[in-house]
Amino acid sequence: MDFDFAVIADHAHFLAYGVGVTLALSALSGLTSLVTGFVVALLRLYGPRWLRPAVILYIDSMRAIPVLVVLVWAFFALPIVTGLTMPPFAAALIGLTIHLAAYAAEIVRAGIESVRPGQTRAALALGMSRQQILRRIILPQAIVRMLPALGSLLSITIKDTAIASVIAVPELMRQSETVAGQSFQPIEVYTFAMLVYFLLLFPVTRGVDLFYRRVAHLGRS
Amino acid sequence: MTLDWAVVWQHRDALVAGARTTVLLAVATMAIALPCGAIVAVLRLYAGEPVRTLATAYVEFFRNLPLILVVYWAFYVLPILTGLGLSPFATGLAALALNVTAYNAETFRAGINSIRRGQTEAAMALGMSRVQALRRIVIPQALRRILPVLASTWVSLFKDTSLVSVIAVTELAYVSMQIRAQTFRVLEMLTAMAVIYWFLGYPQAKLVDWIQRRYAVTE
Repeated sequence: MDFDFAVIADHAHFLAYGVGVTLALSALSGLTSLVTGFVVALLRLYGPRWLRPAVILYIDSMRAIPVLVVLVWAFFALPIVTGLTMPPFAAALIGLTIHLAAYAAEIVRAGIESVRPGQTRAALALGMSRQQILRRIILPQAIVRMLPALGSLLSITIKDTAIASVIAVPELMRQSETVAGQSFQPIEVYTFAMLVYFLLLFPVTRGVDLFYRRVAHLGRS
Repeated sequence: MTLDWAVVWQHRDALVAGARTTVLLAVATMAIALPCGAIVAVLRLYAGEPVRTLATAYVEFFRNLPLILVVYWAFYVLPILTGLGLSPFATGLAALALNVTAYNAETFRAGINSIRRGQTEAAMALGMSRVQALRRIVIPQALRRILPVLASTWVSLFKDTSLVSVIAVTELAYVSMQIRAQTFRVLEMLTAMAVIYWFLGYPQAKLVDWIQRRYAVTE
């Protein structure tokens, strides 16, 4: 068995581009799914009563369907329904957001519900409105408690962007496949990709841990 | 746009076979990953160096990798490492098992660590050996906390089996996409695939919720 890692250096630009797309897709879909998840959680908790079953159905459905299926559907089937063709990156962003927002919503909901109802009652007794209570009493504590779970959701997001390779988004996984196919050196290329993903993900999981330990006291009540 | 949903019914045999492979793959992976995860967790907690560090490195490495990459890697590297011509199913199973074992090991370790040291100390003060204290005091309590996590790992695993479609394991996702390619019925087949996954996965997600409520730890 001879290994020749020169293939990595030869395609350094091509692979670095993939890393860039992976980072961009992770950051964007992390952001959009966090915002969407927040809205979905608020709708589930405080939205109109008739809407709640639909919101719950959406969340539980996304927990039941693989992200691969959502991505493939968003790329191949959604354009047939809407009549609009989308570039792979946009389809991946939409698919990942639809999928991950459900998870984000559950995290946000758990965080909000973890603040004891006594606090809401006390705030009501002090004359605050529901909105004020959410903003001033509940969210400051809840957001801190959500951090560990949101951190692992971020690492799940980065890992899920690799699945976007099946709809030809030119991120690291896809670029590695291309290089592996052209150079006939899959072992070197995929081992390299493993290292890069690990180096991307490990600091995220560790960083979230460390950050949470610093701010955990803010979430106590 | 004309839709022809009959295509789904025409290929029902292939879809059912695909769904069966999906279930089989998930069951086989868990059957491997439960004992292996327990062994890795025990090595991490009680073994001496360097085994402990190796076990930790294994867990951290696989928890920080996209599964789809592990699948590709297994597909190209396992035949060379082992010298065996593995079937796509065996390769997919190996990749999934490597991944889920790491997650299970972490679950077991966290579960055992969540039982306060005072309990082990009390058990030893009563004259139990370390192994007895672990078996009679710690593990029975830890299992209650581990079960809900294992349940959600199971649901993730069930969905993750779809990723081995990239190495042509004939499970539900692969079969559906093959039929799509043969018939050009894109919307119908992809929707059917999503619906079948939904019917299989939705009750499991609900069951996990129930288990988590039932075994919730209140302190």
